[in-house]
Amino acid sequence: MSLGSWLELIASGLITGGVYALVALGLNLQYGLMRILNIAHGEFLMVGAFITYTAHVTLGINPLLMVPISFLLLMGLGLVVHRLVFRRLTRTSPTLDIFEARGLMVSFGLMFLVQNFAQTLWGGDLRGYDFMADPVAIGGAQFSANKILLLVLALTISAALIVVLNKTLYGKGVRALMQSPTGAQLMGIDTERLHPLMFGVGLGLSGVAGCLLSMTYTISPSMGEPYTVTALIVITLGGFGSMAGALAGGLALGVIEAIGMHFTNPSLKSLLSYGIFIGVLLWRPNGLFVRK
Amino acid sequence: MKPTHRDLLVLFALAGWAAALPHYASEFVVSMALTCLMYATLSSSWGLFCGSTRYLSLATSAFFGIGAYTSALALEQMPWLAAIGLGAAIAAAVAVVMGAAVLHLRGTYFAVLTFGMTELIRHAITYWEKQVTGTVGRVLMVVPERDTIYLTLLGLAVLAVLTSIAVRRSRFGLAMAGIGADEQRAQTLGVNTRLVKIAGFALIAAFAGAVGAAMSVRWTYIDPHTVFNPFIGFQTVLIALIGGAATLWGPLIAAVVFSVLAETLRLQAPQIYMMSLGLLLILCVLYLPGGLASLRAQTLRQWGDDIRGGWRNLFSRKAKEAL
Repeated sequence: MSLGSWLELIASGLITGGVYALVALGLNLQYGLMRILNIAHGEFLMVGAFITYTAHVTLGINPLLMVPISFLLLMGLGLVVHRLVFRRLTRTSPTLDIFEARGLMVSFGLMFLVQNFAQTLWGGDLRGYDFMADPVAIGGAQFSANKILLLVLALTISAALIVVLNKTLYGKGVRALMQSPTGAQLMGIDTERLHPLMFGVGLGLSGVAGCLLSMTYTISPSMGEPYTVTALIVITLGGFGSMAGALAGGLALGVIEAIGMHFTNPSLKSLLSYGIFIGVLLWRPNGLFVRK
Repeated sequence: MKPTHRDLLVLFALAGWAAALPHYASEFVVSMALTCLMYATLSSSWGLFCGSTRYLSLATSAFFGIGAYTSALALEQMPWLAAIGLGAAIAAAVAVVMGAAVLHLRGTYFAVLTFGMTELIRHAITYWEKQVTGTVGRVLMVVPERDTIYLTLLGLAVLAVLTSIAVRRSRFGLAMAGIGADEQRAQTLGVNTRLVKIAGFALIAAFAGAVGAAMSVRWTYIDPHTVFNPFIGFQTVLIALIGGAATLWGPLIAAVVFSVLAETLRLQAPQIYMMSLGLLLILCVLYLPGGLASLRAQTLRQWGDDIRGGWRNLFSRKAKEAL
């Protein structure tokens, strides 16, 4: 294999990896902070994709403009979902274990609800539109411009989130809550405000991922589920609750999948990712990057 | 009358009525009853292990699919009941291996891992069929009569409830309940938790495998996508939770309700069926965490108070805003 095709392979892995990282960061925020393992996470990615598609095709809005809009819309949806469901669940569950199990069940319900709602609203067909599809040549490899854009935006947003979490007072509060919920509450951190907000930000991130995906790939109401699973795999790789781990894990999984598929065959893709997932969970349940 | 005697009496009355059903009911009702028996068996056996130990297994569809494939492959060489027994045995064997690997993980890790393993098995079999045998799916040539299938499933359902009654009263059942209440304490008190968990997991896998083996002939054509459908696992969990996973009759009642709902709604409006399923699951977890079987007059009164309290809050807030 020439250098150019290696570059192409790794870059295409990084591009899918960027989306994985974005979805995984959102899920990680929800699980790491609130212990909500949101199985419906990918469904909200699908909603983001369809909102962008509809806005672009019927109203002619530029998909780039839809990136912040879908973030805000999905974040609003997240606030509503949290207010209606998870607030009550937090109050009525006696222990964290029970809350986790119940939260998992509720998110399965959300998954059925959202996915089938989208199917009734938009129908089950594959859809897509053209946006910045011209090829760009970089160092002997060719990519379509929208994929480059996707990678750049995904990386920028992920990096921005990590910086916000590391540098601001809000981020400090979030990290403190992840380390020790009780301790953080004793220090005066308001969980009643941070939990809904972060749940909303998580969904917003998956909305942005959906928006970016709709620029490059065809979309359908059943597109969300594989991304949920991938996001789960990524946060297991990177460690539950670790943001930098999720970013690194997402990019790594994208590259591993791309290389693995190139050398074996594409139908092995899901087998490969589930294999990695189970292997990591059994071998290092705390994530690859955690040092003990 | 002791509660056990009462349970046994109810069970035999129900079983007798169900056994007479195919002789006078229409084809549609019998097919509905089959779905009903399938989910009754799956969810009451699921509740037996997962309800008492609180290990949330999403692997039901894996065992179901293994059973279905076993009987599809074995039915040409061996009699009907032997094929079902083999399906159950292979499913249980897989459960022992899987359980030994994952049963030390609790809570969400366990749920997610069992789900992942189910998907891994499904993809592995699809891949195997594509690459090695060259065909996806199998057509079942030798199919027993409808009444045979029906009676087999009825037998399995009765067996599942009987096992449930028997295990609840045994040391084994108490050990599982102890694990559910506090695993470390159970261990300290001398329960071999590892062994109990693996045995319980294998037991419910055997039931799921047997049901899969019996149901596969109903479909005449099976492929990994239908028999390893994770939805079978979700619906089992759903039924058990809505009925009350830790109770004996809850899953059974919920299974009847759901099969009727499924068979009538799914054909006409599949999306509405799935949406109501999701909504029901959320409402049930939020407002009835103990399941239908925990529904008492007091629960309803509590809801009434909650709603009234909610209204009052709303009004007092409005009044404050007005001031």
